[in-house]
Amino acid sequence: MNMPSKPEYVGVIRLTVSAIANRMGFDIEEIEDIKVAVAEGCTNAIKHGLDKNFYIKFLVSDSSLSIVIKDDGKGCNPCKIEEPDLLNPKEGGLGLFIIKSLMDEVEFTSEEGSGSIIKMTKHLGADI
Amino acid sequence: MSIIINKSFNDNKDAWNIDVHGEIDIYTANELKDVLIECISSKSKDVILNASNLEYIDSTGLGVLIGILKRLKTDERDIYITNAKQNVKKIFNITGLDKIFKVEG
Repeated sequence: MNMPSKPEYVGVIRLTVSAIANRMGFDIEEIEDIKVAVAEGCTNAIKHGLDKNFYIKFLVSDSSLSIVIKDDGKGCNPCKIEEPDLLNPKEGGLGLFIIKSLMDEVEFTSEEGSGSIIKMTKHLGADI
Repeated sequence: MSIIINKSFNDNKDAWNIDVHGEIDIYTANELKDVLIECISSKSKDVILNASNLEYIDSTGLGVLIGILKRLKTDERDIYITNAKQNVKKIFNITGLDKIFKVEG
């Protein structure tokens, strides 16, 4: 679905994805992880997107939940994204790192000039 | 969902007490930033952020706190995060920011 690229709608997506993950049988901690990761993806799309909307898709299977977030922004070179440096902490650049920490699989594709796509997946019962 | 921020100066501790109720995200982070800048601009002292009613924080909120901490560090001041819920602590842990902020309680 298409969502408005406005900060006030990120909370709506957090509630939506929490409800989907809950219905699928994820536990409370997993739901929290998914919620945070998806919100970070949306935040990136809103910050870097240039369109009035961004695109989000929920892929539900028996064993996993994947979320795809796509923006029509300026894009970036994924190779140039730095890991956070604690000796020199920066105000930005934590979002993707948080997503990678919380989700089981993360695919980030981006090209300068043609926006970014992030696909993140959480497997059901992966920690058991 | 919005946030409610209460600020007061604690003379005994010589620090700012900041009470945050609600969620800090891309929608609300600027409100926190404005309050903190107003505080430390009038008195550059330690900031004690009481997080017992903070339900959620994201990278935008962390970014605001990092920016404020950088300003405070020039005066050798710190930011204390107290009584954070487990989900909030987790974000500080996975980003390693628990080593930069004083996360207590």
